[in-house]
Amino acid sequence: MIDLDRVSKSYERGQPAVRDVSLHVNKGEFVFVVGASGSGKSTLIKLLLRELEPTKGIVTVNGYVLNTMKRKTVPYYRRGIGVVFQDFQLLPDRTVYENVAFAQHVVGTSGRLIKKNVPEALRLVGLAGKYRSLPRQLSGGEQQRVVIARAIVNRPSILLADEPTGNLDPKNSYEIMKLFEEINNRGTTVLVVTHNRELVNQFQKRVITMRSGVIVHDEEEGGYTDD
Amino acid sequence: MINGFFYNIRQGLKNIWRNRMFSIASISTMAACIFIFGVFFSLLMNVNSMVRTLEEEVGITVLFDEGISEERIQKIGETIKDNEHVIDIKYTSAEEAWEKFKKEYFADHPEYADSFSEDNPLANSASFTVHVDQVENQATVVTYIERIKGVRQVNHSDQAVKTLMNFNSLLTVISMVIVIILLVIAIFLISNTVSVGINVRRQEIKIMKLIGATDSFVREPFVVEGAVIGLVGALIPLLILFFAYDKLIGMLLNHFGVLNNLASSLPTVYQIFAVLLPIGLVLGLGIGLIGSALTIRRHLKV
Ligand SMILES: Nc1ncnc2c1ncn2[C@@H]1O[C@H](COP(=O)(O)OP(=O)(O)O)[C@@H](O)[C@H]1O
Ligand SMILES: [Mg+2]
Repeated sequence: MIDLDRVSKSYERGQPAVRDVSLHVNKGEFVFVVGASGSGKSTLIKLLLRELEPTKGIVTVNGYVLNTMKRKTVPYYRRGIGVVFQDFQLLPDRTVYENVAFAQHVVGTSGRLIKKNVPEALRLVGLAGKYRSLPRQLSGGEQQRVVIARAIVNRPSILLADEPTGNLDPKNSYEIMKLFEEINNRGTTVLVVTHNRELVNQFQKRVITMRSGVIVHDEEEGGYTDD
Repeated sequence: MINGFFYNIRQGLKNIWRNRMFSIASISTMAACIFIFGVFFSLLMNVNSMVRTLEEEVGITVLFDEGISEERIQKIGETIKDNEHVIDIKYTSAEEAWEKFKKEYFADHPEYADSFSEDNPLANSASFTVHVDQVENQATVVTYIERIKGVRQVNHSDQAVKTLMNFNSLLTVISMVIVIILLVIAIFLISNTVSVGINVRRQEIKIMKLIGATDSFVREPFVVEGAVIGLVGALIPLLILFFAYDKLIGMLLNHFGVLNNLASSLPTVYQIFAVLLPIGLVLGLGIGLIGSALTIRRHLKV
């Protein structure tokens, strides 16, 4: 499903942000990626989204070898992956419904299917009643739910989340994580980057710990380790 | 991808609306450009048609030496016909010339004409009227006829045609210059309008690409925006011109003192628009597309 083979990524200046990382994630897994700020977690996500290309090594996702992927293939590859960021990245001038429908329009879904899929996704994230609200009329937790609805409405096989609860209080954070677990239970592979020690310990999933671009721990049903 | 295309048409129209000050400026410039193009085009079509009418009407008149024999005139006629540019030749006898003259100048006072009755004052005015295939060949034919023995004088009145043709070239040059300047301004404005739209939608574009929008899908709304601005900017002046045509062209032609006898053969608004409408719309569409393409290439590194 996700396979990194001795992957390194250097930016123009400084140490490599990701160094010689090998990683395998199976279909249907739930993985936390933890580590201090600057340890290379976001860079890893960007490599998986093919926003960045690795300096060394081979990245294979959903059967696509990202290193040799043609530009024209990238959009089709990305349709198999949902993304959630810390800053919610909703379109401020569109309603909740339109923000989710947006993802379907982008991939050319027919109007008939959009009318069926969008309410379904909103129901899953618990926002069916707020489909006419604008983002600014929602709480942070609700906004993040809209982003999640947008990320899953195209039914990706992988969901990537970079610090999805970074701006949320503990209660909302927990609920968002429950939602990821629910999505994972429906068969989607989920990879969540987070700082939140308590959450990671509460959920008892596989935990990958990074430090200075290197994977230092990779434990099943692990906890958040500092060293 | 047809679903996505309809979506992008809506997005393109929304861009125009959200960004209406720029859009109006672009459409106005486009409209001014197409309007001026349309006016000059109509004028050119009219002047062209006048030139054609004059070409048909204007002939060469050939007069003969005094006391020349009928046989000789016949011979001259055949020699003239031998010229490849001559399409038609008509003989007018002195008597016919006199009758015609009387009709034209003494119609109201036949008694004046009677005073000449015994003696044709135009005794030596038998003539050939020669029609030439193209007005450009007139000079050659005149020289050819002047060399024929027994020809006294060759009159050719192509001055009007020459003037019109000069006027036509002048009109073409002026209109080309104005239209090209306006086109450049229109492209520039449309390009700016589209780039404002792109900047407003940067975040949206970024998200679209992460979700899996193809490059062409990202570009489409901006292509639509340019195309619609171009088309609307062309359609408005064409409609105005269509309904104002008779007044406008009448006024302009009047101003330039066009002879009334030519006015009857001028093209109709429908004949003009059968050509002008498609040219105008294609021009508008093309400018709109060029304008947005320039910006997309510069500001939308998808
Ligand atoms: N665009 C960039 N250009 C240069 N260096 C960068 C860029 N993005 C991140 N880095 C550097 O790469 C390292 C890893 O960053 P990042 O992947 O964002 O870490 P994390 O998400 O774990 O905080 C950091 O040292 C950061 O300064
Ligand atoms: Mg980060």
